[in-house]
Amino acid sequence: MNDHAHAEEAHAGASVGTNLAIWIGLVAITGLEVFLAYEELQPTLMLTILIGLSLVKAAMIMSYFMHLKFERFSLVLWLVPAMIFCIAMMMIFFFTEAYWGMGLRPH
Amino acid sequence: MHDVKTDAALDSAWSGGASPFAMGSKKLGMWLFIVSDTLTFSALLITYTYSRITNPDWPKPFPMNPAIIFSTTMTVVLLASSLTMVMAVMAAQRNDRKKTVLWMIATMAGGLTFMALHLREWFHLFEEGATITHNPWGTPLFGAVFFGVTGMHMTHVLIGVIYLGIVATGYGRGKFSAEDVEVNGLYWHFVDLVWMFVFPLVYLMSVKY
Amino acid sequence: MVTHENGGGHGHHQAPTGFIRKYVFSIDHKVIGIQYLCLALFSVFVGMALSALMRLHLGWPNAHWSIFKGGLMTPEQYLALMTMHGTIMVFMVLTTAPQSGFGNYFLPIQIGAADMAFPVLNMLSFWTTMVSLLVMIAAFFVAGGAPIGGWTSYPPLSALGEMAGPGQGAGETLWIIGLAIFCGASLMGALNFITTLIDLRAKGMTLGRLPLTCWTWFVTAILGLLAFGVLLAACILLLLDRVAGTSFFIPGGLVITDQVITWHKGGSPLLWQHLFWFFGHPEVYIAILPGMGVASHLLSTFSRKPVFGYRAMVGAICGIGFLGFCVWGHHMFISGMSPYSAFAFSILTMTIGVPSAIKTFNWLGTLWGGKITFNCAMLFALGFVSLFVSGGLSGLFLAQPALDLYLHDGYFVVAHFHLIMGVAAIFGMFAGLYFWFPKMFGRFLNEGIGKLHFWLTFIGVYAIFMPMHFLGLAGHPRRYFDTTAVEFLQKLQPVHVFISIAAFITIGAQLIFLFNFFYSLYAGKECKEENPWHATTLEWSIPTPPPFDNFAGVEPVVYHGPYEFSVPGAADDYIPQHLAPNLVKKA
Ligand code: HEM
Ligand SMILES: [Cu+2]
Repeated sequence: MNDHAHAEEAHAGASVGTNLAIWIGLVAITGLEVFLAYEELQPTLMLTILIGLSLVKAAMIMSYFMHLKFERFSLVLWLVPAMIFCIAMMMIFFFTEAYWGMGLRPH
Repeated sequence: MHDVKTDAALDSAWSGGASPFAMGSKKLGMWLFIVSDTLTFSALLITYTYSRITNPDWPKPFPMNPAIIFSTTMTVVLLASSLTMVMAVMAAQRNDRKKTVLWMIATMAGGLTFMALHLREWFHLFEEGATITHNPWGTPLFGAVFFGVTGMHMTHVLIGVIYLGIVATGYGRGKFSAEDVEVNGLYWHFVDLVWMFVFPLVYLMSVKY
Repeated sequence: MVTHENGGGHGHHQAPTGFIRKYVFSIDHKVIGIQYLCLALFSVFVGMALSALMRLHLGWPNAHWSIFKGGLMTPEQYLALMTMHGTIMVFMVLTTAPQSGFGNYFLPIQIGAADMAFPVLNMLSFWTTMVSLLVMIAAFFVAGGAPIGGWTSYPPLSALGEMAGPGQGAGETLWIIGLAIFCGASLMGALNFITTLIDLRAKGMTLGRLPLTCWTWFVTAILGLLAFGVLLAACILLLLDRVAGTSFFIPGGLVITDQVITWHKGGSPLLWQHLFWFFGHPEVYIAILPGMGVASHLLSTFSRKPVFGYRAMVGAICGIGFLGFCVWGHHMFISGMSPYSAFAFSILTMTIGVPSAIKTFNWLGTLWGGKITFNCAMLFALGFVSLFVSGGLSGLFLAQPALDLYLHDGYFVVAHFHLIMGVAAIFGMFAGLYFWFPKMFGRFLNEGIGKLHFWLTFIGVYAIFMPMHFLGLAGHPRRYFDTTAVEFLQKLQPVHVFISIAAFITIGAQLIFLFNFFYSLYAGKECKEENPWHATTLEWSIPTPPPFDNFAGVEPVVYHGPYEFSVPGAADDYIPQHLAPNLVKKA
């Protein structure tokens, strides 16, 4: 791979218009989140939806603003699964244990 | 017998002599830092959830008006600063030094506005009697989590603003490259990304009806 | 080439001239590696001195020694010694020397790079580590003295401050700050290692041609990157509990020395255990993995045979790294955890036995039928294998929740982790040092003194730690100050005496090593050759000691796998990685 090829690859990315669209999307999702909070949903349901929407927002920021969509896909494979795995492990066991511990408390 | 193997090996992206991701080392380094910092924030937010599970008297003190409207404004400001950062990076890649610096200053302004609004919010809470150790509504852990998590995020914003200042100055003087601006951008977007989780979890899940 | 514009590009910087730039704030990875090794060497002797004092007390609890005020050690002093011994050994020795020390020196050379990817960051991470060490050691000198909470620093006692005991005041605060700083330093080191290995490999150095040492340094760095981030969060929270008055880890209704604590409530001490061990288990692999790499490397070199099952070895290294994040709960079986979690953690823990066994059998397979040279480096590598097996087997016992209920927090655990983490990792370092010393300093360590050192140490550590298994089986709790006050422990006192004597002999043997180190540094047999061991990897292709930019501005090209020993049809019994195929002499 020569310097020229690299220069092209690094400069490839979304246009101003796309980035603006992404930004508007992010603001819109934020608005949706606030609306859901206003609607007073059942907490677990709301938590699930909010986390889902946040993940969508994170994916949008990472792919476009942080350029991940325009990098080699192998980079995504190196970075993301390890991170997600650690977080998932913590969530599975920490929360199980939190509920279990609650069950042991005298009533 | 070796030649065939050697040639094949030298062809792939991983055969050495070049970055397998076709990107500069600094960018990779920043990505790795972001992975690690993500875990730090995840641990904090998981601590929050754990504490909330184990404390049924967790308060929900934020009314839609003004707290939620206020924090939504903060969110939009921070998002806007991400957009200006995108513009700065694009300008830097066109080698437009002046525009780059201007967009970076706009980004810093966004960051500082976010901090100012956030501090106002903090002081408002102090007035209501909520501190890191006590609050009038329920378990004291509420304040600990709220100020702990948002404080940690704000520290990142502050570091980001300083970092932007250094890179903008250096880039304006021709000491830093477009890649440095881009790496700076990665950090800034990450700070924004973290807020996309802090905002719903800390604010929207604690709305007072 | 993109990669080469960044920091550690090939042949970019010039050798600095001033003393400070050359030896103190150096950005040369080799100097930084040696700095890390010196830091670890200092720390290991401090840690050993602390353990000597503990053994003195445990062997003869009621004897009077003039070094203590009033002739006797106090329980608090004992606990402070134990805490600092553990902390210094785990963080400042086992985490720094194998990875940051040897890794810094040899990873760039073994992959054919002129330096690390970020030389300045490299310097920063060393000096940050230094600050962290100084902050921790400062804990000895503040009011109340060093902390007494153990290297795991369990709350609530670690979160309450002075009222939980002397040392839990300012000392414990310094301890946590030191640890948080250490997290930062390790993070910098880890991302530097990963970037270096990914980006700066010389042409032809495919992943399948990486020496196993590089694989282990790489996976260790990944573990560090992921684990230290979580520990940092835990440290921040614990610090907030102490200095800001929050209650993340402090439950309500505590009574400490007759005082009811009313100003804390709602927190969970178990949360700290989860966060700490989520880091803690990967940490134990951070300590041992580089040793595994060195052992594989040396077993192959000194039996003149390729590593048996190279791919399986790489798979096992990655598998151990992956599983390392799935098993932290085995440190918490008695915490009242849900039996379903305990079951899952138990199965996952025992699964680690699979990659561990793969490694062990492949080491034996490497030795099988080889032309073995029993020099000091090889002896220590063999010692590593022995200790790894001995320590690993006891892990499988501890991994059963039902057995662990009895063995937890007893001497059986102490025996397990000292054999496997403490001593095995240290044997890995000794092996590496005897092997690389000539390359680093241009002289050989003395073999005669070295063998004496090896045998005394090898027999010594087994004499110290084997009996501890029996203490544990007899129900002896760990971290006990006075073993004579409890009736069933009194009968075990002779074992303690035996262990203490063995410990003093072993510590004495380390002085032999220290003598050998300095003696050989100045008067050892000179090594002028590039490749005294007839080894294959790139560090043996450059002058001894290596020049500032390693390859003198020439980018090496790699043509061979890392362990091409005794290749049929070749004249020599080794083929260096950089030797062009047409230059390989035919038999
Ligand atoms: C087959 C592999 C292994 C298994 C099944 C295993 C299992 C265990 C278990 C179940 C415990 C908890 C005992 C208790 O506290 O009651 C433990 C403790 C420990 N293990 Fe291992 N282990 C293995 C390998 C290792 C390795 C390779 C290292 C280090 C290099 C290590 C270092 C430690 C340490 C430091 C502790 C004690 C920590 C403390 O409480 O202070 N283990 N091990
Ligand atoms: Cu473990």
